[in-house]
Amino acid sequence: MTVNDQPANNVNGSTELNEDEIRRIKTKTGKPVIGYICCFAPPEIISAAGAIPYRITGKPGKDTSSADAYSEPYGCTYVRNILARAVEGKYDFLDGLVISHSCDMVQRLYGIWTYYHPLPYSYLFNVPHQLTPWAQRFYKRELGFFRESLEKFTGQDVPDQKLSNEIISYNKNRDIIRRLLKQRKEKPPRLEGSEIFELLLAGGTLPVDSFNRLLSEKEVQFASRRPVNGNKPRIMIWGSIIDDPALFKIIEEAGGAVVADDTCIGFRVWEKDIPVTADPYDGLTEHYFVNFQCPRTDRGPGIKRFDYLLERAREYDVDGIVGYCISFCDPHKFDYPDLRDYLKKEGLPMLLIDDNYSFEPEEAIKTRLQAFLEMF
Amino acid sequence: MSHSEMSRAIRHLETTRKMKDMLPRFFMRMMERRFSNEPLAWCMVGVPPELLKAFDLLFEWPENFGTMCASRLVAPKFIEVAEGDGYSPELCSYVTNTMGYCKLFKETGEAPEESPLPGGMGTPAMLLGSGFICEPRWKWFQSVATRFFNVPVYSSDPLAPPWDIDPHNPRIEEHYLTLLREDLAGQIEFLEKQTGKKLDLNMLRDILSLSHEALGYWRDTLALRKAVPTPMGSTDYFHAIIPQMYLVGDQEAVDFYREMYEEVKDRVERGVGIVEEEKYRFIWFGLPPWFNMGIFNYLESFGAVFAYESTYNVGDFFDVDLSDPLEAIVRRTWQRAVKMHDYGSEAMPELCNPAVFGGFVGSSLLDELVDDFSLNGAIMHLTRSCRAVSFGEIHTKNRLAKAGVPSLVFESDMADPRLWSDAQIKTRLQAFLETVDRAKEGGKINDS
Ligand code: SF4
Ligand code: SF4
Repeated sequence: MTVNDQPANNVNGSTELNEDEIRRIKTKTGKPVIGYICCFAPPEIISAAGAIPYRITGKPGKDTSSADAYSEPYGCTYVRNILARAVEGKYDFLDGLVISHSCDMVQRLYGIWTYYHPLPYSYLFNVPHQLTPWAQRFYKRELGFFRESLEKFTGQDVPDQKLSNEIISYNKNRDIIRRLLKQRKEKPPRLEGSEIFELLLAGGTLPVDSFNRLLSEKEVQFASRRPVNGNKPRIMIWGSIIDDPALFKIIEEAGGAVVADDTCIGFRVWEKDIPVTADPYDGLTEHYFVNFQCPRTDRGPGIKRFDYLLERAREYDVDGIVGYCISFCDPHKFDYPDLRDYLKKEGLPMLLIDDNYSFEPEEAIKTRLQAFLEMF
Repeated sequence: MSHSEMSRAIRHLETTRKMKDMLPRFFMRMMERRFSNEPLAWCMVGVPPELLKAFDLLFEWPENFGTMCASRLVAPKFIEVAEGDGYSPELCSYVTNTMGYCKLFKETGEAPEESPLPGGMGTPAMLLGSGFICEPRWKWFQSVATRFFNVPVYSSDPLAPPWDIDPHNPRIEEHYLTLLREDLAGQIEFLEKQTGKKLDLNMLRDILSLSHEALGYWRDTLALRKAVPTPMGSTDYFHAIIPQMYLVGDQEAVDFYREMYEEVKDRVERGVGIVEEEKYRFIWFGLPPWFNMGIFNYLESFGAVFAYESTYNVGDFFDVDLSDPLEAIVRRTWQRAVKMHDYGSEAMPELCNPAVFGGFVGSSLLDELVDDFSLNGAIMHLTRSCRAVSFGEIHTKNRLAKAGVPSLVFESDMADPRLWSDAQIKTRLQAFLETVDRAKEGGKINDS
């Protein structure tokens, strides 16, 4: 039996279990595993170069003191969490590391990590902050340099056709995901937000075909679910990286339904297809740079930059927004007051949860959420 | 924190003391022009000041305004207003200072009475940002223009290669130079549109040449600090950077830095230091606590001097061909990025400084500095709200420890005095001096 014949139930939304899975696939296929943070460096290129892209996740709330010897206490707690795990050897299955210059903290994690714990392959993918034509051209050239570096490492060429095929395979997964996301429009939805989110998390840690089988199986399972009665306040989550379903679950336990999100492992990366263009790098630039709605990119002043969020809120008939900010997360913390005011004007209340990437104390967060949900 | 714990700096040089007359004169000139409704640009470090001069544009630096608010202890008031508006206390205090100031300005239609400058920062007609060095710079003017002043913004977007990419590879060089050139062109196009003036390249060349002359004197002055005893300390250093923001490109700045150079040179020749007995020669890392610059004098009272500071440093001044002044600006930026890169920029893997001064980059530069400046310790200010500059201090500390140089990291902020705990910081500083004493005697470095 080849790896690709593995039943999908070997994998699930738990990234920890998927770590075991990835080790197994690595042994079977002999392919190198390349960890990445942030999607500016597209996993499709990693995959087309014959490596396995693996989205690195942290472990919320875990002690990060092993990072202290290398980095300052003041810094994004998610990044510190990852650095601590790297130092502890938790990512020893990685052959390579790709970090995008998305925010200051991740970019600086790259230098420290690769200096103290070099990996066989590493690449910092540089990303401009503007969307000017020249910034887009820079991004596109950077895609080319990234591809070259991967080709050198894996010894495999990535002709355009191969990359386009890879994009098409990934888009197939997006297609299923969109169908699942649409089901969140039901009132009340049959699928919990956390269930879908767990799936999306798995998508970052699995090869494209394994993920495809998992999604297909889940879609069949979900189809047989009965509609449920009653209504719950419909919530959208916005904010810093979330790579654990904890917040979704707390909201659900507090009586809400998470029907949409604007986070980097959720809608931002999966909602839309990568445009299939004659030059595949054009489609990647459009998807991962121009259209990727991370506040680290400067979309100019004014509140129009949030219009996409309002459209989504309307589409999913959202009652309120829960903002989630990890301590020291500049991009999101700077946007919060503007976004809060914008949503308020549009009649959408917002609750901000400030967290140090621990989702604790859970009871206190839940109490605040309950009070917020009572408004609806 | 109590206000009585904060003290203003005592400067040692005549030249920097004279700034007390020079700067108000300059601000008055600016003010007169402002009152005649000339357009005003708010700018960020990273925007070439020479370009602003070439457009004969009035400009103001909210960062510098932040330092002034800090030194007059009014920053907490503005910061608290911003916090009330939803800005996290973790955000850069220069930015939150600006946001609180703007809010009060908008509410009353005039500069809040606590503002350091008469008329405060004025009303901007445009915002010129720059993303060099840190993230908050992307959001700062975006938020100002969204919430307070609905004026056009141009944020320049310089990038430099990460530490493990070879900047000497011609393809890489072209990749980055293309961006820098196109970005500068975009900035100029914006300025031409907003001012209705065409950039005069001859004028820009003359301004650049004056600015390079002034900065050349500054570089040479900094090099003189290698002398033992060091002829100039941090209180002079941190004040002397102000003309670089406002006056660079003017003959006045050339004169100022020449005078300063001559004064410092004279002190070296006469063997005049800034303390009676120079017991400790340190390097300072991070932004200074602008609200308590007297801390440098406090350290001097124990015989501790700083011969080098990691921030606002133009020690690595670049000689570029000015015949094409635009290319000269691009090359200056690039050469600086390459130099930082060559010295090891792992803690700030892609920092690019298009301006003439910036943060410390270069872990292997440390060995050179320790020797050249006869350093025997390092003090690092970990600024809670500016992670951009203080990130990498632990790494620097590790590198210094390898070279046998003790260092101390202490926490506070550059503009927010609420984060200053006087007794605790002073106790730690004193304990550190004892550590250095032991290290000098060949004892173990018990660095903290
Ligand atoms: S949570 Fe914020 S600060 Fe942390 S890596 Fe993400 S964007 Fe950067
Ligand atoms: S470098 Fe630091 S102090 Fe300067 S704007 Fe950025 S965060 Fe603020």
